[in-house]
Amino acid sequence: MRRPLVAFVAFLLLAVAGPSAWWLTRPSASSGVPVASVGASPPPSASASGPGPGAAPAAAPAVVPAAGAPSHPPQPALAPPQRVQVPAIGVDARVEAVGVQADGSMALPEPVGVVGWYRFGPAPGSAAGAAVLAGHVDGRGQGAGALFRLREVVAGNTVVVTSSAGVRVTYRVVGKETIVKKRLPTERLFARDGVPRLVLITCGGPFLPELSSYRDNVVVVAEPVG
Amino acid sequence: MRSILVLAATAALTVGVGLSTTAPAQAAGTADVSVLHAVPGLTVDVYANGKALLTNFKPGTLTGPVKLAAGTYDLTVFAAGKGPAGTPAIEAKGVAVPAGANLTVVAHLDAAGKPVLTAYANDISRIKPGQTRLTVRHDAAAPAVDIRAGGTPVFKGLVNPKEAKADLPAGMVKADVTLAGTSTVAIGPADLNLAEGTNTIVYAWGSATAKNLALAVQTITNLHSAPSGVPSGTGGLVNDSLPLPLQALTLVGIGGALVAGRRVVGAYARAGR
Repeated sequence: MRRPLVAFVAFLLLAVAGPSAWWLTRPSASSGVPVASVGASPPPSASASGPGPGAAPAAAPAVVPAAGAPSHPPQPALAPPQRVQVPAIGVDARVEAVGVQADGSMALPEPVGVVGWYRFGPAPGSAAGAAVLAGHVDGRGQGAGALFRLREVVAGNTVVVTSSAGVRVTYRVVGKETIVKKRLPTERLFARDGVPRLVLITCGGPFLPELSSYRDNVVVVAEPVG
Repeated sequence: MRSILVLAATAALTVGVGLSTTAPAQAAGTADVSVLHAVPGLTVDVYANGKALLTNFKPGTLTGPVKLAAGTYDLTVFAAGKGPAGTPAIEAKGVAVPAGANLTVVAHLDAAGKPVLTAYANDISRIKPGQTRLTVRHDAAAPAVDIRAGGTPVFKGLVNPKEAKADLPAGMVKADVTLAGTSTVAIGPADLNLAEGTNTIVYAWGSATAKNLALAVQTITNLHSAPSGVPSGTGGLVNDSLPLPLQALTLVGIGGALVAGRRVVGAYARAGR
């Protein structure tokens, strides 16, 4: 009676130990604040909404300067980013300007060692909005990509982006999340308004061989320092 | 185009001036209205329901946008300083301004050269990522025209005061206006930077007989949308699931625990009997 009990406990421990050890040692899926919460615009104020609904349209034309129209004063075009560095995870990669693919998803440089900057959005160093840099975590036949270790980033890590004009912008990571691709909050992550910030995106989570792709995106949001 | 930009910057108007406008959040009960003066050779005052809306308004100038309370407006245009009593130079009664709309009211010549007012609704719907929207409006005293981009007609047979529009990949285009069905260039060419997420509205105005055909350009920004996703890995090197050896060990553990557990239960059952 004694021996089966010992065997039972031993096997139970074996069943629990493997997954527990794996769970405890892998990089955590999130760190810092939720990425979609960074740089959210304050709710539009109703102060400049002009005449109320009761105002008779037949009366004065009630010309009100367009509320908030020039809320983002035109700023000089910034030089595109050329290099991104994340010392904590050994990233030092070249950056290329990219757009979208035919299906509307973000296009990325083919070589996995190069990171893409979404050229239709703000450039790093802009006064407002999210500058988005994204790269392949890996590529079939190419091995690990520049952002392979992005999932190891934690809040407080430093990111440095250098423009083609040699201007450096230093960021501090405020949040990291692993998000199922179907639920990626793209409108927030690619927002062109709100506080200036840097968004780094790559793939992560379980690999789905039948689709040759990953289930999740790893998203890091950083805010400029100083 | 250059001269228009200069005029717009220097015109003395009672309201804000600017060629580049933003599609703002819709305020309840109002519409965004821009006004383009596209009648050559006449500085005017514009009245809405008898009240001055714009004064000392020069040809080639685009204002706005200003917020107008939704409703119906009688618009009248007089030579500068001559209104609002008397017979207006141009008149449009009962112009509907719906809440939430984005309109451009254009004072221009009709095909026969008579000044008229036309209110256009600007398309401020979201544009797909990477795309731009090009709108063209025929407001010139001229016959039907084709609009070409890079020498290829994109809009054919446009007549005064119609408009045509399309969403295209963003970028620079060399645009010109030809007499419909011919390669006889009437206006241009002009280099247009069709920015992503922007509706660029090009007005052909002036008079063919007076040889003062010109282009005016209005842009409405902030119509962009985000990419649909970021596909960023095909290698499968990051496998964020339990490694295979650990999976096997776990299965062995579960199986062994089941077998041993049954024996434990059996032993207890025998002991209890």
